[in-house]
Amino acid sequence: MKLTQKIKAAALMGIAGSVALISGCAMSPSADLNGMKGGGHEYLLTVTRPNQLHVIDTETNKVIRSCDVPGIFGQGTVEPSPDGRIAYVGTNKWEDVVGFDITNCDIVFSAKQSYSNVTVKSFVSLAVSRDGKELYTVQNPTRKLNDRYEVMQPQLAVYDTSAGLNAKPLRTFPVDRQITKIMAMDSGEVILAGNDVQAINPENGDVRVLTLLQNWNRGDTWTQPDAFAMHTLGEQADEFILPYFTIKWNGDPGEMEKAEFWWGMSRVDLKTGEVEAGEILPFEFIVFNFITDPTDSNILYGAFNTLSKHDISEKKTLAVHNMEHTYYNLNMTQNRTIYVGGTSSDISIHDPDTLEKIGSIKLPGDQSTAAMRIAFLK
Amino acid sequence: MNNNKSKYALLNASALALVGTMLTPGATWAMDGNELIKEKCLACHTQTGNPEQPYSRISEQRKTPEGWQMTLQRMEHLHGLQATAEEKQVLIKYLSDTQGLAPSETADYRYVLEQKPNIVEDADPAYAEMCGRCHSNARFGLQRRTEGEWKELVATHMAVHPTLELHALSRDRRWYDIALNETAPKLAMDYAFDDTAWAQWEKAAKPSLTGSWSVAGFMPEKGEYSAVLTAAQTSKDNYSVTMVGHYADGSKLSGTGSAKVFSGFEWRAGLTLDGVRVRQVMAASEDGATLTGRMYQSAHDEMGGELKAINGSAIVTLSPAAIKQGEQTQITIKGGYLEGTVKLGKGVQVMKVLSRDADRVVVLAKASASAAVGMRDVTVGSTKAQAQLAVYDKVAAVQVSPMQGLARIGGNGGKIPKVKSTFRAMAFATGADGKLGTDDDLNLGYMPASWSLKPQNEVAKEDKDLEFAGTINSQGIFTPGDTGLNPKRRMSANNVGMLTVVATVNEAGKAIEGEADLLVAVPIYIKRAIQ
Repeated sequence: MKLTQKIKAAALMGIAGSVALISGCAMSPSADLNGMKGGGHEYLLTVTRPNQLHVIDTETNKVIRSCDVPGIFGQGTVEPSPDGRIAYVGTNKWEDVVGFDITNCDIVFSAKQSYSNVTVKSFVSLAVSRDGKELYTVQNPTRKLNDRYEVMQPQLAVYDTSAGLNAKPLRTFPVDRQITKIMAMDSGEVILAGNDVQAINPENGDVRVLTLLQNWNRGDTWTQPDAFAMHTLGEQADEFILPYFTIKWNGDPGEMEKAEFWWGMSRVDLKTGEVEAGEILPFEFIVFNFITDPTDSNILYGAFNTLSKHDISEKKTLAVHNMEHTYYNLNMTQNRTIYVGGTSSDISIHDPDTLEKIGSIKLPGDQSTAAMRIAFLK
Repeated sequence: MNNNKSKYALLNASALALVGTMLTPGATWAMDGNELIKEKCLACHTQTGNPEQPYSRISEQRKTPEGWQMTLQRMEHLHGLQATAEEKQVLIKYLSDTQGLAPSETADYRYVLEQKPNIVEDADPAYAEMCGRCHSNARFGLQRRTEGEWKELVATHMAVHPTLELHALSRDRRWYDIALNETAPKLAMDYAFDDTAWAQWEKAAKPSLTGSWSVAGFMPEKGEYSAVLTAAQTSKDNYSVTMVGHYADGSKLSGTGSAKVFSGFEWRAGLTLDGVRVRQVMAASEDGATLTGRMYQSAHDEMGGELKAINGSAIVTLSPAAIKQGEQTQITIKGGYLEGTVKLGKGVQVMKVLSRDADRVVVLAKASASAAVGMRDVTVGSTKAQAQLAVYDKVAAVQVSPMQGLARIGGNGGKIPKVKSTFRAMAFATGADGKLGTDDDLNLGYMPASWSLKPQNEVAKEDKDLEFAGTINSQGIFTPGDTGLNPKRRMSANNVGMLTVVATVNEAGKAIEGEADLLVAVPIYIKRAIQ
């Protein structure tokens, strides 16, 4: 784990270095960027009701731009493009994808997935290839017939990100049911979080297992893992992360007194495809989402009613901070400032070492279940 | 957020409005149900050509009137059905008469039709997580479908509630595969479309419910009551209803309204009772001798209580239903047109008849100090009722009813009112053996008690639920706190809580206590006729 971390840190520094060389004036406002800073400057992206995408400068912690998203709020899914310029937003009750240029709110991409008598929903599943050329969704279609519904096979849909405002899938491939968050890897494959964690090749639809969850075959000693994959996270550490909860029965199944309650995790390095899986921490309280410290992959932060810090190499909780209200989501910049958001209309800013609150960002509407993603604007 | 609020309110209002349409008096019955199905439903449904099951989907289901009402409501909201209130009445009546449930098929789930709060269900594990995590067991237990139809219902769930595969208790299993290939076939076995109970009931002669009924019941705030209910048939299965009687405190009870009978036994009445709109949901016994169920305020269905009616002159119940050895007390014998001498059994003397009305006889009774502990039959003239009055030595235990109560925060300027919870104290004596928990324990009926609250557990104590979740009054009625964020609470939480309700009955200077759990929960945003 430590070795991987060093490689990752070096790679990130490499990117930053090369960007600086190419642009020559990194980290300063650019006319091309409508006054925003390039060179990998970090902008926090989130969505609030009724349906607006907000662009927040993590240097000033101010909302610098709010873009009206067409359609009814869905979940507030956001996927930044690799160059940080485009924010793809899931909208219209999980059906449409709209891409915004975050420097001016221009809509540069739009895909309506439902058609004819078929309603297509994509639950959180929104990913962009590492070269930014393709966009992926997992489509869950149902057909409305005259007096009944037909449940159709879910599929991975591949879109060309340059297809404009009436984009149609270039290719589709059948996938399992119950897939939620997805992420693209350097290998070109797309990670699918569903019954198990799989990777699909978006060129030919080949699917392989990265790590098992429902099919882990541990027998009756462990309960089926419950993996809650409602928010895409991980860009701050260039990884895919999916926690799960499970119970180990040391006595008979159901015998709570002897049972152990565990958080587990499936984590994939998006560069190398390396997979880590297994129990990471004793379960002590509910955490909605975990993220990894970008400077130390052993350190995880979790948010819900508390903000917590954990060292998974020792399976230990290091610190717990009680929040002012429930939050669903969190993210972190490269300088390790923690942003905790979701549910209500504020983002709470915290110190990564003490977990103390150091600031707040007021939003004009409720985030509800919205994503909070970091765009590294080039 | 505002959009959602109005939607919830709208759905809520439509559910209630439709309940109303089922009872609109004076409807004409010129319309033929079968013709109306052809006219209204065949825009989407098709004729199968099979005379046994002539219409696609429709003919492979049986439901209660509330079940068919919900179906029509869904057809309106999601599929563009346009039907007048009168047309919907005809459809609900026709479908529940021809594709309804037999009395025995509804017996286990009356509580949901009666809108009875505070029910803790005992679910079959095969359904508890697959269905029961969103629905009451009664929701599916009150439907009968072919296997194909149960499978179509799974498809409807997937299309209408597409995220259900991802909920807790779904995402840890292959929900759709299990629902389609395990749950639907099991439902088709347990709740089969073809059932002899319905085949026989459909053929059976249905009782007429015309006439005078001896009634006893309970309404929160008002208390126990007795009445004579008169049902006069206005057209087939439609009745005008009057109800006249007394509350326990002697005040008068009076109301009029109308009733409709579905499936030959499902009594649904709407009355204005002392200025308040109330509904009666009762089941007629197969012989038509009794009606049992619940009456509640139309606008607050939790504010209601049991209702029992016996056809003709009868003793329905006594209040109080117990007398202590050596004590003298006033007893109300609830029943219609009771005439003749009142006898309360061995060792209990009727000192004086205090009053006689059409719905009750009030007497002053005295139990001798040596009267044997046990139940007494009661007679008034030639009318007799068995085991109506308990003679006891002392109250040994108090049990709070319900044992597990549920209230919901609300109000506070929002569209959803608070849902209260009413508790009553039921007393027990040990019986002749002097021991509690044995077969001869005597149920002394409901008794007055003093009421208090305490936190249910350490978390409730820590979160000060007692301070925020609500209050209980001297009648045992719990009123929950306001809905919405409360900045005074930890994490600005709302006023939910977990409390223990304590009833105290004084027995010869000694406090006898009974306890019940009370969950003060969040508002229910979407209210269905069958939850």
